[in-house]
Amino acid sequence: MNIQEFLSIFISSVFIYNVILSRFLGLCPFVAISKDTKQAFAMSAAVTFVITAASIVTWLIYQFLLLPFHLAYLRTLSFVLVIAALVQLIEMVIRKTSPVLYRAFGIYLTLITTNCAVLGAAVLNIDMFFVNGKAVPGSFYYSVFQGFCMGLGYTLAMLIMSGIRERLELCNVPSALKNFPLAFIIASILSLSFMGFSGFKF
Amino acid sequence: MRDLIKEFTKGIIKENPTFVLALGLCPTLAVSVSVANAIGMGVAATFVLLGSSVIISLVKNFIPNKIRIPCFIVIIATFVTIIELCLKAYSPVLDRALGIYVPLIVVNCIVLGRAEAFACKNNFISSFFDGLGMGVGFTLALILISAIREFLGSGQILGHTLIKGFEPVFVFGMPSGALLVIGLLLGLFNLIKSRKA
Amino acid sequence: MRNNLIVSGSPHIHKQESIPRIMWTVVISLIPAGVAGVIIFGLDALWVTLVALVAAVLTEIIFEVLTKKKITVMDGSAVITGILLAYNLPSGVPLWLPIVGAVFSIAIGKQVFGGLGQNIFNPALIGRVFLMASWPKYMTTFVKPLSYDTIASATPLAALKEGKILEHISYLDLFLGKRGGCIGEVCILALLIGAAILLYKGYISWHIPATYIFTTAVFTYIFGAKQLFHGDWLFHILSGGLILGAFFMATDYVATPLTAKGQLIFGVGCGLLTAIIRIWGGYPEGVSYAILMMNAATPFIDRYTKNRIYGTS
Repeated sequence: MNIQEFLSIFISSVFIYNVILSRFLGLCPFVAISKDTKQAFAMSAAVTFVITAASIVTWLIYQFLLLPFHLAYLRTLSFVLVIAALVQLIEMVIRKTSPVLYRAFGIYLTLITTNCAVLGAAVLNIDMFFVNGKAVPGSFYYSVFQGFCMGLGYTLAMLIMSGIRERLELCNVPSALKNFPLAFIIASILSLSFMGFSGFKF
Repeated sequence: MRDLIKEFTKGIIKENPTFVLALGLCPTLAVSVSVANAIGMGVAATFVLLGSSVIISLVKNFIPNKIRIPCFIVIIATFVTIIELCLKAYSPVLDRALGIYVPLIVVNCIVLGRAEAFACKNNFISSFFDGLGMGVGFTLALILISAIREFLGSGQILGHTLIKGFEPVFVFGMPSGALLVIGLLLGLFNLIKSRKA
Repeated sequence: MRNNLIVSGSPHIHKQESIPRIMWTVVISLIPAGVAGVIIFGLDALWVTLVALVAAVLTEIIFEVLTKKKITVMDGSAVITGILLAYNLPSGVPLWLPIVGAVFSIAIGKQVFGGLGQNIFNPALIGRVFLMASWPKYMTTFVKPLSYDTIASATPLAALKEGKILEHISYLDLFLGKRGGCIGEVCILALLIGAAILLYKGYISWHIPATYIFTTAVFTYIFGAKQLFHGDWLFHILSGGLILGAFFMATDYVATPLTAKGQLIFGVGCGLLTAIIRIWGGYPEGVSYAILMMNAATPFIDRYTKNRIYGTS
């Protein structure tokens, strides 16, 4: 476990392999909700929180339940259920403890259950930080940090996109390209410019 | 019989999951680098769609309405696990190429969408054809996108060089190219729609 | 007598400026750098520039005919895009490359967003980054200066990245452009002449170029060498596309912040990103990526640096 490893996880999951722009996870809300910055921010905050929480929980389940009992093949099934339950739990807790927060991003939590970014992050963590059925040293911290960084990458892409799309409201965009198609083209350009970070070395 | 054919064909053009409903785009973009990967992904997704549609339409009366979504997810995840294990056993190369996008079929909106919108309201024969049609529509869309990307990005289709001397446009093999292709295709479909109207 | 006074909204003072006038002045200010490029790299540089220019103009016309819009080629903005794209290419590229790049720049970089004044990103840079990702082989083969031959030579920044020793390149060589590089970026002297015209006319303000160059210099001075505070900041200013980028591409009217405060943030951001990519990134040069990323952030910067309307909180 060292600082460089954390730095490279940060750069690669925020910029180079950005969840949305490079791994294409969580695209549906990306094009649907990115029209308004406030909503986009609430959604990304919710996603970041859930991804981080899910990274913790799924890592624990994989390490202490699935591996010891040779149930690794139940990974997909168990992760989906755990994430769904987790999201429900978070929703209930937030509703009880902070109605303000619940009003801000409560409805997005329900959407996140089937957000592929969350499951994708969980599966990626397992793929990257377990070698031959064994956790690599520092695996837990890497997983959680990577989950959090993927959330940050999601937030970054969402905020940039919503800023641009708010400005596009005033533009004379060709009618066939309005909304979805243009959102994808902008995402493509963003993805091109983030390529500037490829091959980072410290 | 005619109804069944209609259930089958609607998924291919009129309600094409990718271009018309814009569902399940994540795997579409990620695995469309080559036609071979696209076919693999399409077949895997079709299998899951078919299996889950049929089972859900069969057991729909036993599932309490309140917990139907978790039940659907369990059924879908079961089929995804089956296809995951089959891929690992019989085609490790394809498994590696598709990577995390195979387990992610679980959260593909097409599958859950069909379960919720069709299979839990219809009998298993029409659900079978609905699932098959959606699966084929999804596969065809994947093949179209991947054919464009593989040709432009590497000058080949399924490993065969088409035009000699063509300088491949690498960007189409990258994520950015995928986003560009899907954006332009969606625009094209919009244009065709507005011309027709 | 009642309706003799017509009151219209501000501005009331008319200045003899218009979009075409500004744009064509920018074109003129770009000419010295092009002439220098032709002197340094030979006639190939001229052909690449002309081909890119013509392709950009034709694409704009075709697009506007197809979408039944007013033809706006005479405002000169497509000409600028074509020239800037060519200035960002090596002189030895096959001639179809600038054509493809110019078509991409105008179609995806500009017309898709609705044309002049509406693009989010600098169109020429979108074209360059697209070409860079698609045909890296051509985009990184540079011609040796003043040899008029296709002897390949690395740019100073690429040599630095590969850890080679920079031999025989003095600051004066860099200033005059005696080095491998893209057509329009090599001759700093010519670029500064052009920039002086624009600054004198008031078509660009100092905020973005100054903060951009200053930030890059400071950052490369601190982190540019193995030891802190030993970086060769002058080398970093004079090599690569920094001067071309800072004066001619980071100052695009449409894709940059409106207020002075916003422009300062924009410049610092560009400088940081450029230096970070140069020092730690996989590419030797980061100017185009840095400007594009800051273009993407511009709507945000604009929102938070809006001038307060007098009388409101």
